Amino acid sequence: MTQEINQDQFETEVLAADLPVVLDFFSTECPPCEALAPKFSSLEEAFTGRVKFLKVFRQGNRALAEKLNVTGSPTLLFFRQGVEIGGRLSGEIKKSEIKAALEALLN
Amino acid sequence: METKSYDLIVIGAGPAGLTAALYAGRARLKAAIVDENLPGGWMKTTHLVANYPGVFPEIHGRDLAKRMEDQARHFGADFYTAAEISALELQGAVKRVVLDDEVGLEAKVVILAMGQEPRKLGIPGETKFKGRGLSYCATCDGDFYQDKDVVVIGGGNSAVEESVFLTQFAKSVTLIHQFDKFQCSAIAEEHARGHAKIRMYLCHEPREYIGQDRLEGVAVQDLNTGEKKIIAADGVFVYIGFTPRTEFLKGQVGLDARGYIQADDLMHTNLSGVLAAGDARVKVYRQISTAVSDGTIAALEAEKILREVK
Repeated sequence: MTQEINQDQFETEVLAADLPVVLDFFSTECPPCEALAPKFSSLEEAFTGRVKFLKVFRQGNRALAEKLNVTGSPTLLFFRQGVEIGGRLSGEIKKSEIKAALEALLN
Repeated sequence: METKSYDLIVIGAGPAGLTAALYAGRARLKAAIVDENLPGGWMKTTHLVANYPGVFPEIHGRDLAKRMEDQARHFGADFYTAAEISALELQGAVKRVVLDDEVGLEAKVVILAMGQEPRKLGIPGETKFKGRGLSYCATCDGDFYQDKDVVVIGGGNSAVEESVFLTQFAKSVTLIHQFDKFQCSAIAEEHARGHAKIRMYLCHEPREYIGQDRLEGVAVQDLNTGEKKIIAADGVFVYIGFTPRTEFLKGQVGLDARGYIQADDLMHTNLSGVLAAGDARVKVYRQISTAVSDGTIAALEAEKILREVK
């Protein structure tokens, strides 16, 4: 089960994390968010110990979403040592796209 | 890699695929049903379904999807969901499907029922602004645009109905459509035309998404005068129809110029043992009821093929 954070924890859980982080902004009433969840969980298992998987409820953490210019759900953001790395993934996301992004994050 | 054997593999778990799996299960065929996402297909994203016979009063699309899924599971179909097809062989007597490079499935018959996905415009800025102001789902992202200005592109039912939906959040909704008339139902058009927050640009085509870090507007061209202008927007929602999810079939299965699968009235494609059903097929009417009909025929034909090869 992916750990859920709120915007107050963004600094400590994401920016100050030792491991690279993938953060999922999700919403309710969002079929692509529901479709992403099992793909995200299965990759979380595959990348255990290498990448930290987190999710944040977009409607409940609007200030953070606005600060990061996240306007769509789901959106995946990738961080390494406090800096956002690479492109974002949004909307209907393929498992292979996430896997490729995670591998890029580790290299 | 582990390989599992089935009588039948159904690709796509929308109404066509779920119906095929249900019929296959009741015929005591060993059926696998695979989907890149969760079961339900496009039906699941429909807010209310009011025209599916026998289900009255109207039902949420997601609830109808759940019922169809439960029914297919009850009759024994194995579900492989959130699983992406990484390899596919449809030519031989035994068909092979590989999921996520991890699991192999084989069967003598395959039913292709992947349906459609929203079409993209293909104008500059599309990739850059996806998730940064550009959206394909008003229920997912609409609330973000509280008191903001949004643009909706398209002129069919989805575009016009979602424009009205977005007025509950947005300060203004600008509807841009390439033709001089909408292609939506009369009821939808009445609702939109009478709405104080909605303005319309007919005979206008989007040319480019504009912005720095996030979307700030759309450049459009007036098709009558050729004049170009920029419409400022915090968000853009795109509803310009659908395209079949058949890219991965190219070179194997006969497709028409738009990518839809060519199949006869009994759902047979150009390949023996490969059937098609639902919205991904060349057809005139794409409804839940017609998808269910295709799925039924495809499963009954699959049963017949399997009887003959045994």
